[in-house]
Amino acid sequence: MLTRPFRYERAAHYADACDLLREHGDDAKVLAGGQSLLPLINIGLAQPGVVVDISRLAEGRDITVGADGYLTLGALVTHARLAADARARSAQPLLPEAAAHIGNNRVRNRGTLGGSLAHADPAAELPLVMVALGAAYEVTSGHASRSVRAEDFHLGFFTTALAADELIVSVSAPVLGPGWGWSFQEVSRRDGDFAMAAVAALVRIADGLVVEARVAAAAVSDRPVRLADVETALTGCPPGGVADRVGPLQGISPAGDAGASAQYKRRLARVLVIRALQEAAGRAGEAA
Amino acid sequence: MTSAEIRSSKAEELRVVGQPLPRHDQREKIAGSTRYAGDFAFANMLHARLVRAPVPSAKITHRDAAAAVAVPGVTCVLFGEDVPHNVIWVDVPGQTVEVAALKASMEVLATDRVRFHGEPVALVVAESEDVLAQACDLVEIEYEELPGVFDPAQALAAGAPAVHARGNLLGEWCIDRGDVDEAFAAADTVVEGTYQTQAVDHAYLEPEAGVGWLDDEGVLNLRVATQVVEHYRDVARILDIPDSRVRVMAPYVGGGFGGKEDMTVEPYLALAAWRTRRPVRMQWTRQESLLARPKRHRMLLRYRTAARSDGTILGQQVDITADSGAYAYLSALVLLYASVHACGPYRADNVRLHARCAYTNNPPTSAFRGFGGMQVVFGYESQMDLLARELGIPAAEIRKRNALRRGDVLPVGQPIDTEVFLGQTIDAVCDRAGAKPPPSGPRRAVGRGMASNIQSYGRLVWLNDSAAAWVGWQLDGSLTVRCGVPDIGGGQASSLAQIAAEILGTPMDRITVHFGDSALTPLAGTTTATRQLLMSGNAVHEACVLLREGVLRAVADEAGQPPEGLRLEPGGVAGPGFGMDLRQALVVCRRRNVPIEALGTFFGPKGKPVVRDLKADRVFPDFTFGTHLCDLEVDLDTGKVRLLRYVAAHDVGRAINPLSVQGQITGAVAQGLGMALLEEVAMEDGVNLTGGLFQYLIPTSTDVPDIEAVILESGEGMGPFGARGIGEPPIGPPPAAVASAIQDAIGVRPCVLPITPERVLECVDAARAAR
Amino acid sequence: MSEIVTITLTINGRRITRAAGAHLTLLRWVRDEAGVTDPKYGCGEGICGACTVLMDGEPVSSCIVLAAQADGAEITTAAGLLERDGSLGPLQRAFHACHAAQCGFCTPGMLMSAAALLADGRTWSPAEIRAGLHGNLCRCTGYGPIVDAVEAAQRERAQ
Repeated sequence: MLTRPFRYERAAHYADACDLLREHGDDAKVLAGGQSLLPLINIGLAQPGVVVDISRLAEGRDITVGADGYLTLGALVTHARLAADARARSAQPLLPEAAAHIGNNRVRNRGTLGGSLAHADPAAELPLVMVALGAAYEVTSGHASRSVRAEDFHLGFFTTALAADELIVSVSAPVLGPGWGWSFQEVSRRDGDFAMAAVAALVRIADGLVVEARVAAAAVSDRPVRLADVETALTGCPPGGVADRVGPLQGISPAGDAGASAQYKRRLARVLVIRALQEAAGRAGEAA
Repeated sequence: MTSAEIRSSKAEELRVVGQPLPRHDQREKIAGSTRYAGDFAFANMLHARLVRAPVPSAKITHRDAAAAVAVPGVTCVLFGEDVPHNVIWVDVPGQTVEVAALKASMEVLATDRVRFHGEPVALVVAESEDVLAQACDLVEIEYEELPGVFDPAQALAAGAPAVHARGNLLGEWCIDRGDVDEAFAAADTVVEGTYQTQAVDHAYLEPEAGVGWLDDEGVLNLRVATQVVEHYRDVARILDIPDSRVRVMAPYVGGGFGGKEDMTVEPYLALAAWRTRRPVRMQWTRQESLLARPKRHRMLLRYRTAARSDGTILGQQVDITADSGAYAYLSALVLLYASVHACGPYRADNVRLHARCAYTNNPPTSAFRGFGGMQVVFGYESQMDLLARELGIPAAEIRKRNALRRGDVLPVGQPIDTEVFLGQTIDAVCDRAGAKPPPSGPRRAVGRGMASNIQSYGRLVWLNDSAAAWVGWQLDGSLTVRCGVPDIGGGQASSLAQIAAEILGTPMDRITVHFGDSALTPLAGTTTATRQLLMSGNAVHEACVLLREGVLRAVADEAGQPPEGLRLEPGGVAGPGFGMDLRQALVVCRRRNVPIEALGTFFGPKGKPVVRDLKADRVFPDFTFGTHLCDLEVDLDTGKVRLLRYVAAHDVGRAINPLSVQGQITGAVAQGLGMALLEEVAMEDGVNLTGGLFQYLIPTSTDVPDIEAVILESGEGMGPFGARGIGEPPIGPPPAAVASAIQDAIGVRPCVLPITPERVLECVDAARAAR
Repeated sequence: MSEIVTITLTINGRRITRAAGAHLTLLRWVRDEAGVTDPKYGCGEGICGACTVLMDGEPVSSCIVLAAQADGAEITTAAGLLERDGSLGPLQRAFHACHAAQCGFCTPGMLMSAAALLADGRTWSPAEIRAGLHGNLCRCTGYGPIVDAVEAAQRERAQ
């Protein structure tokens, strides 16, 4: 492998980890699950001088459902744990569903929620779902914390609002409330591959009509995109008629690659939006 | 459990051959103890890595290793000037000097010019792997980019940048048989198609690796993942030392498929070990392998097929343009295979074929399972389906109507001199398939497709192919087999044991096979071209027959028995009212000066070398025929394809070990399906964009269905016990079978590989527009 | 140069402590420091699965775990599935009976993923087994015999 040797620091607490990041600056990279960082190091595309291992922090592993109607997940919760957690599935099924789509079981055993969000791959499942849900990330620099909304956190291609000495501590997402239905749709070349397009949708039905919708897409831009036009067009729609309300998607600019052109991804995204809305509306109907 | 269905035509009383015995290498592989080329370590060992060109076409203007050599732990950095004989020659057979060079060359380390992205320019040798990445970064090499050419048709056009001095046409083959113009004039229908196949990578699980060292005799030893131990000669050439001073050993190889047929790490290990006098290990990264190893030739296939209204093919016109990439490697031969196989397993008395392969600044291309005979299946089977639809004749029917029979002559001029079981393979898949399943929901369509193929086994006959094997009894009656055959996972070594067990009666667990050592095992040639069962199998057969004759004669003389009445059984010699323990029989042999060891050599069939205008009464020893059937479901909105069912039937002559045969069939089908739907080495203007396995998509367990194999045994092959080769043939039909099934599902056929979801949607749209 | 860290891993029941480069992956440490060469280097990206080992019972891609992260863990490789007398363990016997190895390079990793699947205790359908193994690539067999082997091992375990 093309690894260049680096130094290793293990942090016991978030405060220590942030101190280390301040100390080493650009020369340091954060290591949690390692499922994104270590491949890059092995291929030679990342060449940190220091790796700060936060995988054994005492904090960051809880899954709690609060009375305030929020599901809170520690940043070090692995995808496997999230996918299997019964409380999470009952509180906000979009999250375990998305986690179950990530990579293969080995990646899920090690990869963490915080790692996926901080890595900010535009095709990734968890950033997509967080944006769709309007989740908030609790971020710390050791001596101070702040809350950042998902849509303000993911700024672009592998770019986030994290400062160099900040780490995500936890994420809070609203619990699926009464009248809401959900859906997660992803199409990739093979199971577990990065999405060619992915959609997360939530639809609320009251008195037999759609009254609220939240729809977001991944792999169609440099970050997850809320499809505001689609959401607006759905208001007042009967659940069986959601497909007719979805026109050409606005605000997306997918990048083509050797296996799929931008045009195809655009078309695929629209198909998935329709499927997601149909499934979410169906689930909302059942829930009502 | 999914075992293969076996249909035998020529029954034979066989005890061991034909039994689904576990291969003797299975146990160690499953225990995790098999040591592959990269699993060896020596004390005092160095590590080596190549510095490769980052651009596809450039002059090298500056090279300086001073900074790299200064890194602590770096032993040396070698450039082309440090290579005693910095050239590897390749024959370009069959061409005239007007067409192209008769020999092509490439440098071991480029000195003055690079022609593809990834071409080796420097070799860094260091005390530890950890130092290599940094040291490679510090080797200063400056490039002045030159115009490149990245498409073979453009490369052949006037004014294209010249990849090599003598122009970009590397090789050309022509077939002109019968009267094509008359055939087309007389035809009731002519169907035309243009088909494109893509560059794909072998993607064996084991990236290239090996260790080199000098032994106590001062002989350079290379223990490398290779399909060819005879490369010791090429290594000796490069070092400018006698052939007898180089030894190549092949341990069990973690997949070859033709990608370890050319030299990979050998020259570099040799240089490093020779220069430093220390053991050296080289492990290519996966990314390096995807970048720079030769790929399968991209081909553009243009077909025109003329037929009568009853489906009989009257004539074929075929034009093939292939991308040879930056260096020749085996391109001219690949194109030859494509040309000979281009009309498929069908009678074609009037054929005009023109095939060309061109140099480009794309990654080089060379051997890959099927070797040219594979790509053309997509062409000729697509044409058959076009004809079938045009004429309203069922797919199975039109194939049977045109199928070659014994006595028919291939377009190149070679008669088929064995029974052809093509019809039987068609029947086998159809019988097994049953009814086509219904779609799983609205907006889904199910299709069924079929494809047949022909693929040669055994090497081109003018190459004077031969293989040798030594078989010897131990005094306790156990058996040793020594044969140079590399075992790349197809059970090459185990098959030899099974053959020996059949003839000599020795139980399988008392036979040891030593293989793949150019110094200590008789040379058996390459594990390529589906030739080893034919060649080393026959060599072992011959040696065993010699041994059997010897021991029976010795015992007959000793016991005063007629030799015809005696036979070898497990445990000894038996006859009417007579028996002698094997150990006793061996003592008798030694007393009577009868050898208990024998060397068998099998010589392949002979023929004259071909020239550009192909006409020969024998090109290959023989051929294997097969038919595949595929059911799949198309998602009409996303274009995704889900494979539901896959049945593959081949006439293998005789299955020495049905488990191995089944394994070759299912593995080759999976690889073919990967090429059909998923795989492509992505390039842009010669830059290889395929950065890793995250981009190079090979089939996983959920991408292929349970592949059902039907093994037919005609007994008609030239291998031992009437076997035909099976390593390559099953990789050919899948792309055509998938395209055929998609056409059945949605009405339009994809003609470009890989068949991505996007391309499927293009077909869906075209079908809708046509309605 | 690289920092050296001393870590302890229990590999197939054998406790090994070594001081080595902190940057070493678990795969490199197991192979080069501990001399256990059955997990293989296939890609360095965590995709092919040839490096799969069990780390405290969970399958991981050892090429994308740092040895330092694994400090103190129990590591099981294919060799660790053998019986005490060196004979093949039940899952391995099933692989053997079903001809599930051709070139054998993917086999050690495939065994570990299969072992993890079976350790769960549930009874999987063939389709579920096939899905459960999709993270381990094989280029030789077409996967059928491997799925058969896991199914056979599951059946035998039930008896």
